[in-house]
Amino acid sequence: MTAASRLADRLARPRILASAILLLVLALACFGAPIVAWILGQDASAVDLYARLQGPSLSHPLGTDELGRDQLLRLLQGGQISLLVGLCAAFGAAILGTGIGLLAGYRGGPLDAFLMRLTDGVIALPLLPLLIVLAALDLRKFGVPPALADGDATSLYRIVLIIALLGWTTVARLVRGAALSLKSREFVRAAVALGASERRVMLVHILPNLLSPIIVATTLSVGNVILLESVLSFLGLGIQPPLPSWGNMLSRAEDAINLAPQLALWPGLLIFLTVIACNFLGDGLQDALDPRGAD
Amino acid sequence: MTRFLLSRLFQVVLVLAIMSFVIYGLIGLMPGDPIDLMLTSDPHLTAADVARLRTLKGLDQPLVGRYLAWGAAALQGDFGYSRLYVQPAVSALLPRLANTGLLMGMSFLLAFGIALAAGIAAAKRPGSRLDSLISLLSFSGISVPPFWLGLMLILVFAVTLGWLPAGGIVEVGKGGFLDRLRHLALPVATLTIVEAASQVRFVRAAMIEALRQDYIRTARAKGADEGRVLWGHALRNAMIPIVTVMALSFGGLFSGALVTETIFAYPGMGKLIYDAILGNDFNLALAGLLFATLVTLLANLAADIAYAVIDPRISYA
Amino acid sequence: MALFCALMAGSVAARDSLVIGVSQFPPTFNPNIDTSTAGNYVLGMARRPFTTFDTQWSLVCMLCTEVPSFDNHRAEIIELPEGKKGIRLTFTIRPDARWGDGVPITTKDVLFTYEVGRHPKSGINNAELYRRITGLSAKDDKTFVMEIDKLTFDYAGINDFDVLPEHIEREAFADPEQYHNRSRFDTDPTNPGLYFGPYRITEVVAGSYIVLEPNPTWWGEKPSFPRIVVQTVENTASLEANLLAGSIDMIAGELGPSIEQALAFEARRGKDYTFLYKEGLIFEHIDVNLDHPILKDKRVRQALLYGIDRKAISTQLFGGKQPVADSFVPPLDWVHADDLKTYPYDPDKARAVLDEAGWRDDGSGIRRNAAGERLTLELATTAGNRTRELVEEVLQSQWRKIGVAVRLKNQTARILFGETIRRRNFSMAMFAWSSAPENVPRSTLHSSEIPSAANSYVGQNDTGFRSEEADSLIDRMEIEFDREKRNALWHRLQEIYVEELPSLPLYFRSEAYILPKWLKGVTPTGHQYPSTLWVEHWRAVGRPGS
Repeated sequence: MTAASRLADRLARPRILASAILLLVLALACFGAPIVAWILGQDASAVDLYARLQGPSLSHPLGTDELGRDQLLRLLQGGQISLLVGLCAAFGAAILGTGIGLLAGYRGGPLDAFLMRLTDGVIALPLLPLLIVLAALDLRKFGVPPALADGDATSLYRIVLIIALLGWTTVARLVRGAALSLKSREFVRAAVALGASERRVMLVHILPNLLSPIIVATTLSVGNVILLESVLSFLGLGIQPPLPSWGNMLSRAEDAINLAPQLALWPGLLIFLTVIACNFLGDGLQDALDPRGAD
Repeated sequence: MTRFLLSRLFQVVLVLAIMSFVIYGLIGLMPGDPIDLMLTSDPHLTAADVARLRTLKGLDQPLVGRYLAWGAAALQGDFGYSRLYVQPAVSALLPRLANTGLLMGMSFLLAFGIALAAGIAAAKRPGSRLDSLISLLSFSGISVPPFWLGLMLILVFAVTLGWLPAGGIVEVGKGGFLDRLRHLALPVATLTIVEAASQVRFVRAAMIEALRQDYIRTARAKGADEGRVLWGHALRNAMIPIVTVMALSFGGLFSGALVTETIFAYPGMGKLIYDAILGNDFNLALAGLLFATLVTLLANLAADIAYAVIDPRISYA
Repeated sequence: MALFCALMAGSVAARDSLVIGVSQFPPTFNPNIDTSTAGNYVLGMARRPFTTFDTQWSLVCMLCTEVPSFDNHRAEIIELPEGKKGIRLTFTIRPDARWGDGVPITTKDVLFTYEVGRHPKSGINNAELYRRITGLSAKDDKTFVMEIDKLTFDYAGINDFDVLPEHIEREAFADPEQYHNRSRFDTDPTNPGLYFGPYRITEVVAGSYIVLEPNPTWWGEKPSFPRIVVQTVENTASLEANLLAGSIDMIAGELGPSIEQALAFEARRGKDYTFLYKEGLIFEHIDVNLDHPILKDKRVRQALLYGIDRKAISTQLFGGKQPVADSFVPPLDWVHADDLKTYPYDPDKARAVLDEAGWRDDGSGIRRNAAGERLTLELATTAGNRTRELVEEVLQSQWRKIGVAVRLKNQTARILFGETIRRRNFSMAMFAWSSAPENVPRSTLHSSEIPSAANSYVGQNDTGFRSEEADSLIDRMEIEFDREKRNALWHRLQEIYVEELPSLPLYFRSEAYILPKWLKGVTPTGHQYPSTLWVEHWRAVGRPGS
């Protein structure tokens, strides 16, 4: 069996497949919300005060929310935001972490010591309280123009940014460790001896060898970011209405929990499914891509 | 060893000092300043009043100057006054600390017990049905939004069944031990589920690693009792990584406590910090955040020390 | 297992005490330092103001013997230096009024309160009140004379003058700057000498509950509960759960659930409790920045109001319990005018008015003016306030139907009130004014109260409303002592308001009281003075198990 076919074989494990398919279906459904809206003949933002909190029906498969909007469409729209935040923030964190890890691992010395102390420091912080502070900051005091500071999607950018700013540590440690060991390998030394620039060595010779652990860590962190986003939005500091996200939908559903528990059920369930699928996928990829996990 | 301890302690102090400056600066960047707040509550303040109050509160000083003044007072135990609770920030903090300690302590112990039992059971026969089930449960536990779990527990046990209170800490005129327990049940359950789920994976991994070692094979070959092998030999060895991870997870536990306390209206530190940040109570937020940082740093330090004590292979030259 | 069973057993409050659930714990018990709703609610049982508005919204004496008037010679007009007029009021403290430790309440206490209130560093909240009192002197132990530098028709009320016990607080005031930290109300809140109401505070568990027991020195009707407990449950959903579990008896409307939550609860358990909804003085509205290039056109404002279905919001979201507001004066206020121009939901009319104002639909769904600009506006409100966020989305959806695009721009209450509104950096902002009965809208409608950089942003006329006629009406009504004449001025002011629409009136907020069937005598007031000021009339009638 060739290495490629072994890898393909491992990737075809039911857990990985099932998670990947689930995520794909969720993503397709969320980003296909306009099509669903067209099929149902509903508009997700159309408020109908005379049709509040209705049960499931043909035109509203999951019923309506507290303003008479179609719950299914709102969930799909919220999913767009939640998935977007998860992907962007995890990606941002991965890029930041890779950069820091590569620098620290390859350069070594005082820079490494400094960057690793910084990493330790960030890891040691109480994450959620700090996120709350960052989410409550007044952007205008940073000199961000008011038009941008109060824009529609500002809460979206803000949350992606702060999660990426605090979430890079795992990848940084991973990358640093791997870079440290790769540095002394023959092919890297050869490249250095041949006069390749430092940047070239890092990007061309070392980075490609780190891709699989980075992919695994990023997959796992997508799930975590979605969880964090939902927590922050639930606390009223994440995605701000009218932009729907699963987290802020839950926050509203909490008020109506006695009257319409189904409103709290669905967004929570979707967060759960998405996150568990990410975790399974990440875990499965780790087994599949890590040669030691082949037993 | 002493040198190692001293250097780690120094690091803790250094990180704390840096963090205090960062947090102080960040809090200053939060919307509104104390004078704005006064103006909101008393629209009759005049322009002269505003200027006078600004000077009085030192708000016309540069950031570093204000930070140093604050730091000097803080070193003497004066963290200023809480705007929301109208008492010194420290006095507002301390009773909450006890509540959070209780919540976190109970959850931590319960989670640790569950994680240990489940992790070992899973590690005994990796790949077995029991292992898969435990793994599935653990994955579910780390993937469930903690506040949603709390809401669902409230929905089932408080709203539908009416067995347990949905929030608060004691009932009036009761306040006995049982009453405290009743109020702790749901928050502790929420926190325990989330915490145990993440710990169980570490315990399992550490145990599998330990069971692979040669001396285990030797012990088994010698016909040692399986229980002794598991709980005696393997566990002792697995304890090193487990303890480290437990101590490191303390910071995460704090974040979990914040969410749990908010859902269950439990008067603890986490909720206090949250309320202080949202309520523009600068002094209290600052004191609370610093305290949370300190606790997390100390837990990490404890992990290092435990690591050093348990594992004689580590040298501290 | 035994432990488990014990844990699951429901709990029931003690049979003779009354447990009141509230959503906030008072930050302080000192009546002069922080006037929070929670503090007022609890202190209403333990202390009484000199004067207050009763449940019929008329001014009455509580700690004094007689409301001053020109007829009883307790009020007289005085001439002030710069040709202004002021008023001199004579109050007499009830002869039987004593602090909870038996010490009589005398003018010494009043003078001390004045001293604290006037001190620039004492940290008290309502400095304005003390600034206006230019002189205070004692005639004897029980009678004092107060001089106020402004003459208004509502001269007789000193509702927020909260007397402090000199014999206890003097020591804490030794260093005025530290007073707000050392006040005995916070360092020793169960000291009987701090209170003189029907009840006094006997136990405080910070953040959790407050126990009150009858005060033996109380002069009025004997209160009927041997114990009242005010229990804080910050999450309103768990307030309900606690009510169902029997661990609290009632939910105070002043600090209770939102109207939607109360209605939801009533829908499920309505027959087991008494639900009282009291509409009040809290006026929800949208302030419109009159200097905004689009909104300064009166027709646009009127079209916006025609374009929203406030009736549907009131009936569907609030069960009809929060009436639609036609002007800023609540229907319960005697100066409310019922013959004003109204703006019923009429999208066609809204479209016609917008057409006339030059905003035409070009087929894209959003209107444009001759210059090609789109009719887009911003609406801000307090982020985190669920009711407002819901209403906001309803408005956005309804305005969309008349071709107006509205961007929602929510900010935390701190930014919204502390900066955005105060500095007038908004186009539309939804929030509430809360006022007293017959409260002259000087701070919100008089042109001298427009906040600007020049006056350090003081004043609450953040819409920038300027009308010479309104200014003059306000100036005149403040000093018009004749009720009929004043009513006419009020009427005209409301007419101007509904024509000009400096703000879009939405509805008046209601409070929801959830009471056990056996509790009688609780009368919601609808104004900012709490129902507990009449707590001695609260009775248990036919309480099961008692």
